[in-house]
Amino acid sequence: MSVSAGAGTARSRRRHVLDLDDFSPQEIDEILETAASMKEVLGRAIKQVPTLRGKTIVNMFFEESTRTRISFELAGKALSANVVNFTARGSSVEKGESLVDTVRTLQALGADILVMRHSESGAPYLAAQYFHGSVINAGDGRHAHPTQALLDLFTVRQRLGRIEGLKVVIVGDILHSRVARSNLWGFTRMGASVTLCAPHTLIGPESFWKATWPHLTITSNLDECITGADVIMTLRLQRERMEAGLLPSLREYTRFFGITAERVARAAPHCLVMHPGPMNEGVEIMPDVAVSAQSVIEEQVANGVAVRMALLYRLSGE
Amino acid sequence: MRYLIKNGSIIDPARRVATVGNVLVEDGKVVQVIDLADLTLTPEPLDEHTEVINARGAVIAPGFLDLHAHVREPGEEHKETIETATKAAAAGGFTTLCVMPDTRPSIDCAAVARQVREIARRRGVVRIEPIGAITLGRAGQTLTEMAELVEAGCVGFSDEGNAVADAAVMRNALAYAAMLDVPIMAHCEETRLTRGWGMHDGAVSIRLGLPGYPAAAEEAMVARDIALAEMTGAHLHICHVSTAGSVALIRAAKARGVRVTAEVTPHHLTLTDQWVLGNLALVRAEGKAIQRSGRDRAEDDDGLDLPSRLKPTLLPPYHTSTRVRPPLRTEHDVEALIEGLRDGTIDAIASDHEPQSAVDKECEYRLAAPGISSLETALGLALTLVHRGKLDLVDLVAKFTEGPATVLGRAPATLRPGSPADIVIFDPDSPWTVDPAKFFSKGRNTPLAGQRLKGQVMLTMCRGQIVFRRGNFGVATGALQQASRLEGILGSEHEE
Repeated sequence: MSVSAGAGTARSRRRHVLDLDDFSPQEIDEILETAASMKEVLGRAIKQVPTLRGKTIVNMFFEESTRTRISFELAGKALSANVVNFTARGSSVEKGESLVDTVRTLQALGADILVMRHSESGAPYLAAQYFHGSVINAGDGRHAHPTQALLDLFTVRQRLGRIEGLKVVIVGDILHSRVARSNLWGFTRMGASVTLCAPHTLIGPESFWKATWPHLTITSNLDECITGADVIMTLRLQRERMEAGLLPSLREYTRFFGITAERVARAAPHCLVMHPGPMNEGVEIMPDVAVSAQSVIEEQVANGVAVRMALLYRLSGE
Repeated sequence: MRYLIKNGSIIDPARRVATVGNVLVEDGKVVQVIDLADLTLTPEPLDEHTEVINARGAVIAPGFLDLHAHVREPGEEHKETIETATKAAAAGGFTTLCVMPDTRPSIDCAAVARQVREIARRRGVVRIEPIGAITLGRAGQTLTEMAELVEAGCVGFSDEGNAVADAAVMRNALAYAAMLDVPIMAHCEETRLTRGWGMHDGAVSIRLGLPGYPAAAEEAMVARDIALAEMTGAHLHICHVSTAGSVALIRAAKARGVRVTAEVTPHHLTLTDQWVLGNLALVRAEGKAIQRSGRDRAEDDDGLDLPSRLKPTLLPPYHTSTRVRPPLRTEHDVEALIEGLRDGTIDAIASDHEPQSAVDKECEYRLAAPGISSLETALGLALTLVHRGKLDLVDLVAKFTEGPATVLGRAPATLRPGSPADIVIFDPDSPWTVDPAKFFSKGRNTPLAGQRLKGQVMLTMCRGQIVFRRGNFGVATGALQQASRLEGILGSEHEE
């Protein structure tokens, strides 16, 4: 058998969701459509359909997560799947078992879908080599968080009616952000124009980014690039960045890169403010902005369940 | 035993010779080299004690000298032993391996150096020459007893794998080694710039979200060490040069007379960071879990135009076989390294053979032990440069023989009569598929699994003994055994 079977068969059923880099605009469209139906299911009195009855989903979380893990768990349960949660704490991983052994064990236990969060970039690609079912990347290191990007796309489209032609500004710690990378794939594929705004220490050389995303704009001037924006997405700033010497102080970061009401006022009147959570209010986003009418932060969380249901449904081959 | 190696293309860079002819070997030495164009020579004596090796269509060259191999013994014999490493070396055409001191314990005292040589004497099939550690335990603080290590057979000093972070220690090491007239072989890495590194710092690392190992981390240290070599007058040898900037620094230093030499690995000369990105289609595909090698597919290739196919089509993204230190760089760096080889800035091709066990590689990318098991693919990979017209075949052979000898300050191995019979015979055009399962090395860690290469070693002779033979290469029929020299000139019809 040829190992690249399916490489040329673009219509083959998707097996894994590792990043958005191998999604066509059409496939993203279809998922967002399905997510809208799922959102309708979630609005019913009985929030459950029997689609994945008899299937086993393992949420394999090697890194702390609250919202993503619960979101996947609710999505699996709403589709009537058996959902098992596995966290690294207290597991065989702490006894020195390798990722490959863990995957083989879950395989033997009959898992159909692995949802995986891992601190190492690329870890889901390793799991995918050994797992016979589907692997969904729920965030790997700095690399990718495809389901977050899909729920962001869904939220924007629900609110603004389109994605194509929008001006999207992503602000913050781009270098270490898997959310930024997956959203870059998603928004650029769907025809939006994306601007990345970060201090130089938190993004790296412009040419490195443009090699993959040639139409991207990169700047460190937030006041300038926010003008006329349709979407502002700000990212969590980890305190470790200060300790690593990447920033002089939180105070300076907030002054030049924090999302304030004054800055939002320079954007388009309908501009959405987004944050993948968890937020450091008062650092990358001001508390009043986070709860303003333009903020869709809670909606992002709510939409996450519907989008993940849509993906699980798609992978189940129904 | 006598061997008559017949009708090969003799390439002897040290004598500036490239001709078709025969080589007669007896008692571990080359006794006669017969240029077939010279009809005045008397026929070589043939008798029942002489084995004729038919090398028609193949290159006969002095055995290769590898400046940089990790053989893991003593201490990590599950990864490699001196026996398996020297067998792999023989299969790769190398008759001498300079072995790095990052063993357990490290080669930081004469006793360990002597032990390595003793094991090599008993179980090695090719020559082993130890490289001593610069500092005790390779910890970068206290100089080793270098004079005694040289006495025990060490040919150079290196803390390979670790850079000597403290410039004052490096200065003293260089000055002390200069007294002994041996090179300091520097692993150049500013580790404060490579903390937590995953791969080369560039477009691919940004895309894959792997922390970068910047080119500047190497170049900053190359610049520092060149300045220290200039100050002390010592011989500095730069290990595994990987960036365009390093090549420029070394070129400039050589031009102003600094005693600096350099080596490059076959993989840094041919592969790029794109190999870490790999082939996304392999994970997109529906069906069973993807396979780790693509031999089945490669076997179907027609064998034409092989070098241009050296692309990472058989590896999924983040394949740990591509993780090596220094990391695979960019196309721009590869071009600069090739230019450095051509203009003499880089003296030698060295394997940096780094065998790792499956456990060390079957894990998350950044957690995988760096290194490529490279002895058995070194020639095939380096020959892609010849097939692409980037490097002359004679120059390539020189980078495996004359160049490394110069680094060690010795006369190059040659096929001149009276020289030790360390000989490699390789077919530069023979196509083959890399299959790590067939390696002599215990290290199966290579990104080349399933790749087609052109050119492989057919027979290796060390001290006049055949230490590697592919199939029954060169075995002559009875008729050829008795064939006259004239038949040899006219082209024997008796080959199998």
